[in-house]
Amino acid sequence: MNCDRRSLLTTALTLGAMHAFPGLSFAQARPLVFATFTGSWEEAHKAVLVPAFRKGNADASIVLDPMLSVDQIAKVNAAKANPPIDVMLHDPGPALVAIGLDLVDPFPVDKSTYYKDLITEAQEPMGPAPFFQIVGLTYNPDTVKTPPTSWADLWNPEFKGKVGITNLNSTLGTGWLVEIARMHGGSEANVDEGFKAIAALKPNLAAVAANPGALATLFQQGQIDISPGNFNAIQILKARGVPVEFVAPKEGAIAFKTTIHIVKNSPNRDLAFKLIEASLSPEVQTTLMNPPYLIVPTNSKVAMDGEIARVLAKDTAELKKKFVFQDWKKINEQRSAWIEKFNRDIKI
Amino acid sequence: MNATATAGPAPGDVTKYSLGLAAPLALFFVVFFVAPLAQLLVLSFHNDAQGLIWGLGQYAKFLTDSFSLSVLGSTLVLGAEVTALCLVLGYPIAWLYHRVGGRTQTLIILIVLLPLLTSVVVRTFAWIVILGRQGIVNSTLLSLGIVGTPLRMLYTQGGLVVALAQVQMPLMTLPLITALGRIDPNLDDASCSLGAGSWRTFWRIILPLSMPGVIAGCTLTYAAAITAFITQSLVGGGQMLFMPMYLYQQASTLQNWPFAAAISMIFLLAVLAVMTAFGMLGRLSRADGDAR
Repeated sequence: MNCDRRSLLTTALTLGAMHAFPGLSFAQARPLVFATFTGSWEEAHKAVLVPAFRKGNADASIVLDPMLSVDQIAKVNAAKANPPIDVMLHDPGPALVAIGLDLVDPFPVDKSTYYKDLITEAQEPMGPAPFFQIVGLTYNPDTVKTPPTSWADLWNPEFKGKVGITNLNSTLGTGWLVEIARMHGGSEANVDEGFKAIAALKPNLAAVAANPGALATLFQQGQIDISPGNFNAIQILKARGVPVEFVAPKEGAIAFKTTIHIVKNSPNRDLAFKLIEASLSPEVQTTLMNPPYLIVPTNSKVAMDGEIARVLAKDTAELKKKFVFQDWKKINEQRSAWIEKFNRDIKI
Repeated sequence: MNATATAGPAPGDVTKYSLGLAAPLALFFVVFFVAPLAQLLVLSFHNDAQGLIWGLGQYAKFLTDSFSLSVLGSTLVLGAEVTALCLVLGYPIAWLYHRVGGRTQTLIILIVLLPLLTSVVVRTFAWIVILGRQGIVNSTLLSLGIVGTPLRMLYTQGGLVVALAQVQMPLMTLPLITALGRIDPNLDDASCSLGAGSWRTFWRIILPLSMPGVIAGCTLTYAAAITAFITQSLVGGGQMLFMPMYLYQQASTLQNWPFAAAISMIFLLAVLAVMTAFGMLGRLSRADGDAR
């Protein structure tokens, strides 16, 4: 037997590599990888969605890999043939990018039990929406005595140096810009008026945060008293004792569909489908609607209740009436130009 | 009279090592650094976001765009400001270290190293608390009646420079401590006995001799400060754009990889140029010192 130093070293290196990268040899047998979002989403999915999925699927192994939508796309796009993720979760903008890059498989609508129960806005054949994200006004009730009622209140001189916004890297920032443009006669195709309005907001601006998460920190530090904000993000702050309240502006709160997709070439297609089914089920959506998660459901069989019914909508009919949905296909066409314009023009 | 000296290196000569010992690290570098870098370079020579059409369009776009150039410029300036602040604050600490007793030395090392033992994220969040409207600085200034309304320090260039300087300080202080430790303490006395004052001794003896440490410290601090994505975005905010955030925006939010690749190549070259300048400065000062 040839047992010289070289072959020994090769063997040792191979063994070492297999130990360091177990995925090398067992690519087919890996657990289902679900790329959720970080923060409250991860907590909610770990506590509710994953147990529900495992219960219904003989304790199938599943790994949560929390990251931003755009990072999910980057990772899958870099390894299309052997994607490191099986199920992606996306905001509306990135969802269209992922579909455009041919990274997702269509959802098998015919096989699904719950798809037909979703409200029409959530029925997306390339990946249904199990949840909504709601963007409205958030404010500090200790310093803002009269609750704001409209986006226009952000321009109120009373809030000089107290307003926070985010840049356009986030869905929240871009969606908000479109809404502001709409208020002034613009649309998804033309946000010039929105930029003018932001320029007029400068005296009131205390901070342009790099991401929505940073807004939370700024509220905690008293750096800002009012900002556009995400309903769910606020619930966490409230639960931790930060004085912050959410209000849906009279123009309508912005609703973003959070869609869930099966990644193309996933080795775990069946389990991926089952996980998505679990996320659409009334049981999971009901649990997630209740405190502490307060995630807005999309299954019309789920009766709205509690804080969501109080602050947002009592049922799906009112939800459709009160929420503003945006056309992200149009938004994506010009988003990079807007980001560039924002980079150049918005200096405080 | 000496057999071994004429017989060449003996087989067991402990001063000779084979270069082969560096092979594992070299291999690691080639596979995980050089190869991806080459891939990045290839990607940057594409004109379209999908990476199908070859061309120099991305470089032309960056280099002819005054906004992109201003992002590069402000990033390099930020690095210079942080490095200068670190040097001014770090040098006295390093100098002090060699002039105090053993127990105080341990204390200084502990203070210098302490920031390295906490994560950058934690240190950065601490700065958000310090610089905020209700932060330590503002509440002190308010209670002393120095200012009437809280100053805006978070999300400003000044706040960012101070925070980065604290976060990167160990990278400056440690090389300085090493370099100053190599200087023979007798040189101080010799200089004094020849009639030089303490400032003259510092400028003509200590500073030139500690130059290797200064260069090493500046290089490390500079490189760390300009690439500090977390601190830059958390303390600098969303409207102060520096190269790492610009790069992230193009690569992640906009999925324009060729442009992002071109940005990183340009950034890499710009940083290499600055490093080379540091190195030349070091050689110059050494040559200058030798000439005297």
